[in-house]
Amino acid sequence: MSAADVFTVVAVSAGAFFFLAGSVGLLRFPDSLTRLHALTKADNLGLGLVVLGLLPQASGLLGGLKLLGVWVLVQLSSATAAQVIAQALGRRRPPP
Amino acid sequence: MNQVAVGRTALFFALWLMIAGYHVADLPIGLATAVLATWASLRLLPPSRLHLRWWSLASFVAHFLAQSVSAGVQVAWLALSPSMKLRPGFVVYRPRLHSAGARSAFCALSSLLPGTLPAGSDDDGALLVHCLDVDQPVAASFAAEEARFSRMIGDD
Repeated sequence: MSAADVFTVVAVSAGAFFFLAGSVGLLRFPDSLTRLHALTKADNLGLGLVVLGLLPQASGLLGGLKLLGVWVLVQLSSATAAQVIAQALGRRRPPP
Repeated sequence: MNQVAVGRTALFFALWLMIAGYHVADLPIGLATAVLATWASLRLLPPSRLHLRWWSLASFVAHFLAQSVSAGVQVAWLALSPSMKLRPGFVVYRPRLHSAGARSAFCALSSLLPGTLPAGSDDDGALLVHCLDVDQPVAASFAAEEARFSRMIGDD
């Protein structure tokens, strides 16, 4: 196993750990808004680590850029979706 | 105007190549997609006086990556700790950014920062920020993030 493979295993495992933590937060946090925090933040870091770990395994420059592109697109969509859901929740139940 | 359109088409085409891969037979479809995407982007996000400052962009990206790591670690720590010390609540923040587009971009971005999630705005444009811990200096850190963001896009 080369150094790149070790790096991949470590980074992807760390990423999986954050996905797991995000899911635990989704189950344990008390309300929808706090659950949104758990999902967006932990999963984004999880995906970031998975992408980082897969970069050394990418087939050439185009493959690497594609991985980064996936990461950027997911960041954009999850940031936007989290905000829109939070807005809908806030409208339904105005804060005290 | 035309320069902007050509630049955006090139950008979308590059993005398409990145996702679909390079196959000569597919290029016309990629080019058509890039042109359509440019048409949509010019309608949805017309060129404005704001300009990215490349050096600020680099430092912003580095800072953003560090912040997303700390956001993920914080949430993971809270979720896995047995006591789960959450103090959720709302903080009202008044954004200083001038353009509306910049404000909504900043909102999307700040939902990825540690412990904060914008949950809409009231009638005078003040942001309602949901926080995992209302005892943190949320307003101060938002002001710092906003200043950094406005330096990058030249909205100051």
